[in-house]
Amino acid sequence: MATEAIKMVLGKGEVLIGRLMLYDSLRMSFKNVRLRKDPNCELCGDNPSVHELIDYQAFCSVPMPGDRQDYLGFDEQEVSITAQELKQLLQSEGRITLLDVREPHEWQIARIDKARLTPLSQFDEYIPEFNPEEEIYLYCYKGMRSLTALKKLYDKGFRKLHSLSGGIDRWAEEVDPDMPRY
Amino acid sequence: MNHSNVKRERLTPEEINRYSRHLTLPEVGVEGQERLKAARILCIGAGGLGSPIGIYLAAAGVGVIGVIDDDSVDITNLNRQIAHSSGDAGRRKVDSIKERMLAINPLIKVETYDTRLTAENALDIFSRYDMVIDGSDNFSTRYLVNDAAYFAGIPLVYGSIFRFEGQMSVFHPHVHGPCYRCLYSNPPPASLVPS
Repeated sequence: MATEAIKMVLGKGEVLIGRLMLYDSLRMSFKNVRLRKDPNCELCGDNPSVHELIDYQAFCSVPMPGDRQDYLGFDEQEVSITAQELKQLLQSEGRITLLDVREPHEWQIARIDKARLTPLSQFDEYIPEFNPEEEIYLYCYKGMRSLTALKKLYDKGFRKLHSLSGGIDRWAEEVDPDMPRY
Repeated sequence: MNHSNVKRERLTPEEINRYSRHLTLPEVGVEGQERLKAARILCIGAGGLGSPIGIYLAAAGVGVIGVIDDDSVDITNLNRQIAHSSGDAGRRKVDSIKERMLAINPLIKVETYDTRLTAENALDIFSRYDMVIDGSDNFSTRYLVNDAAYFAGIPLVYGSIFRFEGQMSVFHPHVHGPCYRCLYSNPPPASLVPS
């Protein structure tokens, strides 16, 4: 990218205007694809609709709290459990259904004792194994994916659902300072 | 093809010495180095992409380099954001990268913006530069940079990475070719965006 900028300053060589360079470091391959101007482009097309800077957060649908609740169908606050609350539960309950919905490579780094790994990427396959009569606790890295998994269960009629607020990262911060963080 | 205004600034003897390996390249020469000295380039972000970009532009002798970033250095940044060092943890990224760039080349000027790029400040900041390089890490900033570069009439060097893959292009639709929106007319759904 720096080289492209320098070439433009110098006015030398051919810059990547009209081309997209794709780099894959695992294959160590470089590909160039031709790009064409889109005549329907809302910015630089024939009949543009964007004439000034807009609200980019809204354009990229960074979710607003209200929209989120509509999407989720349940109150995020009500299903949230804090790290301290989960710690007390783990100490008082002999058996607890605690699901870790992160992926296996994250499970390798750190996990909460008594948890079961049920990665979000394959979560649908695990759902038939769960009992809707039992309290189910979910956690992930920061508390987002566990809500996605929780929604999958909620949409299947499960109601006794809880999600660890702030995920295992918050757990490491507040409950288990020796746990490696990533 | 020349996409920049032809501005030149005379080199001092110190600069002639420092950039001597450029001056002997026919594609650069004294004229090219004088163009680099007169150039003003803005870099969006001082992270994974911004770090090497800032360092290379500084070393090459780009006269004025702007860097905008609203974040501070975290230990987990250091595996890839090579402008920052262990001792910089907790410092503002723009302060850390500026120090590194000036350590490599004290003959340039680094202008820092310790703020988030927004629709309110973008055109004012972009108007001070000849071109912009986008090293940002999120879609809302990417669209903002694309649109602001278009309205400011300056070329945009675009790049993005994910895991082991990267892509790069240059957008200057006023001259020819597409813009970022021609490639991606709509952002991906928020639920698919990796954090």
